[in-house]
Amino acid sequence: MTHLLEIRNVSRRFGGVQAVGDVTAHVDEGELVGLIGPNGAGKTTLFNLISGFTPLSGGTVAFAGRTISGLKPNQVARLGISRTFQNLRVFPNMSVFDNVSVGAVGALPQGPLGALFGSLHKGGRARSSEISRRTWEALEAVGLTHAAAELAANLPYGQRKYLEIARALAMRPHFLILDEPAAGLNDTETRDLAAFIKRLHGQGLTVMLVEHDMTLVMGICQRILVLASGRKIADGTPDAIRSDAAVLEAYLGVDE
Amino acid sequence: MNASETVATADRLDRRRGRLVPLLIALLVFAALPALLAGFDRGYFYQIANLALIFVLLSASMHLVTGVAGLLHLGHAAFYGVGAYTAALLTSKLGLGFTVTLPLSGLVAALVAFLVALPTMRLVSIYFAVATLAIGQMLYLVMLNWVDFTKGPNGIIVTRGFELFGVSLSGRLATYYTVAAVVTLSVVAISRLSHSYYGNALRSIREDDQCADAMGVRTVRLKMEAFTLSAFFAGVAGSLWAHMTGYISPGDFKFSESILILAMVVVGGLGSLPGAIIGALLLILLPEGLRGLGDFRNIMVGLVMFLSILLLPKGLLGEVSALRLMRRQLGAAWRSTGKDQGTGEGIGWR
Repeated sequence: MTHLLEIRNVSRRFGGVQAVGDVTAHVDEGELVGLIGPNGAGKTTLFNLISGFTPLSGGTVAFAGRTISGLKPNQVARLGISRTFQNLRVFPNMSVFDNVSVGAVGALPQGPLGALFGSLHKGGRARSSEISRRTWEALEAVGLTHAAAELAANLPYGQRKYLEIARALAMRPHFLILDEPAAGLNDTETRDLAAFIKRLHGQGLTVMLVEHDMTLVMGICQRILVLASGRKIADGTPDAIRSDAAVLEAYLGVDE
Repeated sequence: MNASETVATADRLDRRRGRLVPLLIALLVFAALPALLAGFDRGYFYQIANLALIFVLLSASMHLVTGVAGLLHLGHAAFYGVGAYTAALLTSKLGLGFTVTLPLSGLVAALVAFLVALPTMRLVSIYFAVATLAIGQMLYLVMLNWVDFTKGPNGIIVTRGFELFGVSLSGRLATYYTVAAVVTLSVVAISRLSHSYYGNALRSIREDDQCADAMGVRTVRLKMEAFTLSAFFAGVAGSLWAHMTGYISPGDFKFSESILILAMVVVGGLGSLPGAIIGALLLILLPEGLRGLGDFRNIMVGLVMFLSILLLPKGLLGEVSALRLMRRQLGAAWRSTGKDQGTGEGIGWR
């Protein structure tokens, strides 16, 4: 059986630094996978390699049986991989609704002719209302319908996190990549977020997340990948990871 | 309330709000103002009204590329010039009338914009701005120096005024109505482009183009489209100018005109179409109104621009702070040098 996402011998050098070296991993349809590792382990770089932000130095990435390495980020996105960013990147001078609609219109492009004459024919109207429907559904999923007209910059930090997820969901992705979704959230907010991610996963979405909050990762992920210094050092269930010697060594240092 | 009900309510609210204001503006432009102009019956007032309308279109077209898509464009007047020269040359060399030159002016300007955009669109931030400055200068120098074709600094006399399929529209009032109709239709088109999901995709590029890319937005293609479309409407404005004044010369399309149009968009507020229109009216009508001050009037105009940027960072109605946008674009130039820690990516392009 082919995996949904297949990462084969992927590596990336930045000058003399090997950020990711020879990583092979996979994600199956319907999984909820965590990616952990000490600071500088190459987690975000790996995400950037998958989503097309950073070109690969070696190896291949395949999604749903199709090689995606070498594609532009927007091409990868339109194949059904949607992501959020480590350092919160909403569109500050746009309303909450408009922010989320960008995800929907990214997946269902509307061109200048569609904008000018779309309302005159059936196909154009259908596309507009589909974009609008996806936008409202994504807003509803994260509970931000009440703030639709608000400027994104005016939302509190926690809600901006959900706004970013809503924008990713409006693309109707098959595979969602979350880069440190809990960063900057307090314990209650993190618990709510964990429940929310579990609910998304329960609805059939395949999710991969980078996270520093161990309780969150151990609590919700079915499988965990561990990176250290750009290499994969472990891959297993949360229980297996907790007692893995290599992981303990990477996190706590060698016991002399 | 579920999602579909929310959609329906929001749509209804939008539609109700969206009817009254356009109706009032249409009454003003097509009834009150022409009545007033006919009442005064002075050629000078007609000239001012037509000029203001043409600059409304120039400002609105720049709103699309700079206000919405966030591309700092410093050569807009050159595309206005390409449109005007297309109309003038088609009229003087081939004897074509306004009905034909109007669409062709837009298309030729758009074609030129498309061709120069091909190599430029991968430039980011301030490098793009400098490239548009150079493009504007190049086009201006072609108009000035290709004497055999453009008659150089002597300019071209445009022998035919406005007409529609051979019916002359060259009277004062008919001229006003022609300009008003073309400008209004174009502004409606620009409004549809900027207030649509397509417009939102363009805005997302202004806000954070990498992030927009990750959302599936084809950033390079959309930037090209915004640039080309804005040149199309600038070309249309150029055709209006050529047939209205009856004489064009390269001086009408030099760098300072680009800056004037940019100032209109900035004073009105980046990202706001009503802002761009008000900015154009302000910067055309204010100097005319201040004629009594003699040479001091240009100082007054400068003061208005200076104060508006100082006191109203987002312009009158803008979405984005002009200073912040420009600072970010300048900043991006420095940042891109250190980007990705020496991955061999060039400075200033993507």
